[in-house]
Amino acid sequence: MLLPFSVVLRPGRPLHDQLVFAVTKAVVTGQLQAGDRFPSVRVLSQQLKINPNTAQKAVTTLVERGILDVHPGIGTKVAAWRPVVSAARRAVLHEDIERLVIDARRIGLDRDDVIDLIRRQWR
Amino acid sequence: MNEVIRAAGLACRYGRTQAVADLTFDVREGSLFALLGPNGAGKTTTIRMLMNIIRPSRGEAAVLGVDTRRLGLRELQAIGYVSENQQLPSWMSVAELLTFCRRLYPTWDEGLSRTLIDAFDLPLDAKIARLSRGMRVKAALVSSLAYRPRLLVLDEPFSGLDPIVRDDLIRGVLELAGEERWSVLISSHDLDEVERLVDTVGFIDCGRLVLLEPLTDLHARFRRVEITTIEPPTTTPALPAHWTGLQVSGRIVRFIETRYAADDTERRGLEVFGGASIESHPMTLREIFVAVARQQRETRR
Repeated sequence: MLLPFSVVLRPGRPLHDQLVFAVTKAVVTGQLQAGDRFPSVRVLSQQLKINPNTAQKAVTTLVERGILDVHPGIGTKVAAWRPVVSAARRAVLHEDIERLVIDARRIGLDRDDVIDLIRRQWR
Repeated sequence: MNEVIRAAGLACRYGRTQAVADLTFDVREGSLFALLGPNGAGKTTTIRMLMNIIRPSRGEAAVLGVDTRRLGLRELQAIGYVSENQQLPSWMSVAELLTFCRRLYPTWDEGLSRTLIDAFDLPLDAKIARLSRGMRVKAALVSSLAYRPRLLVLDEPFSGLDPIVRDDLIRGVLELAGEERWSVLISSHDLDEVERLVDTVGFIDCGRLVLLEPLTDLHARFRRVEITTIEPPTTTPALPAHWTGLQVSGRIVRFIETRYAADDTERRGLEVFGGASIESHPMTLREIFVAVARQQRETRR
């Protein structure tokens, strides 16, 4: 069974965080929608070839954040009502922005320079 | 019982060769444990002692709570064991092998056996003697997974196999994922394959355990550090013992930090080398393995 969301795991960063991020992004961008069936721990583990305990922990985190719901006897589904979505929307860019700020500081740009660059790119 | 394997001071001597010396480690229930090490490090010897194929010359071990020297039918029915050079009855067909195994294991799950046969594309009628190496390992794996063992022991399961077969094997093993109280001990050279799979790493070198740690801790404390200095360094300053593998080339200084602390490593790096900028990169298990092996070789000199 294929996974119903995009995920590319890269070495170096914790797999749990990468998986949580990928699912959050899929929900925010509409790849996964409320009520969609979410794969079991076994399927996640097999498809991504990751430790089942890691897959389980990621699912637990996603349930805690209100992104997934557990339906006993049926399985896990994408949650219907998501007060977390606006936070999740921001989280999608969090890592990229952190890297941007670090890189900007390293080469000696200040905040206005960066905002200016973003404004120009926005057009 | 929380440990499926307990080894205490385990040692094995072949004539004058000390293959394994004073090995002490536990594998917790529910854990996927990797035994890593260069060729001839003692991985297979260790596993064979745990499986009661050879006797330790010193020390002792318990598997599923039972002294390895007294492992009986009850324990063996709960252990799946696949080794690199598994001897299978070559005159049997795959179907005959599986029928034979089914009778030995009360917990045999015929549905799981079929699922695996399909996933592996195993030819049931073919004689084992005529199977490729990859197919033979797959047949061995079905016969060791179908009874849903509590402990799966894999000795170099991927060595010499192509990436497609490896992929199939990993997925096959993970058919048992989600099983409660399921534990795996795997020895392997294929670090990229093992990296995502395991949670604990034991590193053996020259028969001794040089490292035993959760993989997340290893990932957290190892960093590849690169400093760009203001002036090319002319002398090598005294370095903390946890910085290894120093290389200097022009204005670039590289080393491996084995006790990374965010900000602290960067601050000290810049201080020690009079650096202009510093970057620290997370390392893959393969890179960590190479760094540890090099460090070991240097300390032996």
